[in-house]
Amino acid sequence: MEKRLGLNQYVKYALVLLLSVGLILFTQELKVLKYPDSTPVTGMTIAGLASLWLFSMIGIGISSLLSNSKIGFIRNFPILGWVSITSLIMCLLFDFFVTAIQAVDFLSITTPILTFAGISVADRLVDLRKTSWKVAIVAVFVFVGTYAGSALLAQFGLMLAGK
Amino acid sequence: MKKNFVYLLIFAVLVITAAEWIGFQTITIGSISITLLPLVFAILLTMFLAIKAFRVGFMKKIYSKENVGFASKYLIFIMLPLMARYGADVAPQIGEILQVGWVFIIQELGNLGTVLIGLPIAVWLGLRREAIGATLGIGREGELAYISEKYTLESKEGRGVLSLYIIGTLFGALFFSVFAPILLDLGIRPEALAMAAGVGSGSMMTGAASTLVARLPEMESTILSYAAASQLLTSFLGTFTMIFLAVPLQQFMYKLLVRGDR
Repeated sequence: MEKRLGLNQYVKYALVLLLSVGLILFTQELKVLKYPDSTPVTGMTIAGLASLWLFSMIGIGISSLLSNSKIGFIRNFPILGWVSITSLIMCLLFDFFVTAIQAVDFLSITTPILTFAGISVADRLVDLRKTSWKVAIVAVFVFVGTYAGSALLAQFGLMLAGK
Repeated sequence: MKKNFVYLLIFAVLVITAAEWIGFQTITIGSISITLLPLVFAILLTMFLAIKAFRVGFMKKIYSKENVGFASKYLIFIMLPLMARYGADVAPQIGEILQVGWVFIIQELGNLGTVLIGLPIAVWLGLRREAIGATLGIGREGELAYISEKYTLESKEGRGVLSLYIIGTLFGALFFSVFAPILLDLGIRPEALAMAAGVGSGSMMTGAASTLVARLPEMESTILSYAAASQLLTSFLGTFTMIFLAVPLQQFMYKLLVRGDR
């Protein structure tokens, strides 16, 4: 989607990612205050956040390098996918990353993201008026259909696999 | 740095604080209990405060065009650490995941449920060409691209997929965070629910996987790794499933359903 990135863009992404991991740290601190049993904030947590930041940057870099690729599938593969793959490979190679990243509380990652997701749709709330109530009902069944469909097939598959 | 942007950051910190302070809340209806996570309160708060009537004074500065633009432009970058976290969840379980790899592939076919269940309902409600757009998938970028290429977004099909896109963006994560534990209470195994959570949208997957983790904290690593692996698989296979299976199936069913009511 994006063309090759300039240095300015990388700095911008680096800062946005810093904001993201910073808010995760903040959220995890809050969670410990409210629920003392939850994942504590330790040096490992900081190392974990640094790893998450690093893998995200690598993913952005890969996606940018491949943005001129001749193969459409690779060119259009989402950045999110590259980041997951980078992290997966690094975590398979070095156990340290697994330990560090798991010191970051999972649910603390989700709250800041959904905060920004909520803000990002603010100006689209008016679009809701343009959608018909019929599509809204259909949407419920579409979501139920995909999730229940996959869950039932998975349940059946796991049963056959004897798991 | 722009002044309004500083307000946005302060606002985000306040919303997170409020959401975390509300914490985990459980609503029980009969035998089904719904756990509402801080992330649900975060999205509800930000969406509620975005209502035009509240946008005066300070709130107007927070929800300025630039700030909302920043949030939507950089949302996927703010999400990247989450995607990186999933790598660490999958890695330790990779052996187990590969062992049941074929189950992961089979459950991808469950995504055809959008056509199988959604299309008859849509036609029954009187939708016609809109139904094509609204039921091809969960209306994310993949479907949006396909429909706009084939029918354009101004067409009825296009309006269908756009409507679904908007509804999914606004309520998708919320919906899945409520629906996943309902299926759990109905007796579906958490492993199956985790696998199914990879529906092709990061926030919807997070909605489903997070409530499952909150309900079954001892299974956190299994749930997150299954959900993440399936999500990754969907991003590889999703386009193929759509073009080679969902589209032909939808055409076939559409002709059948629409002919029936003439």
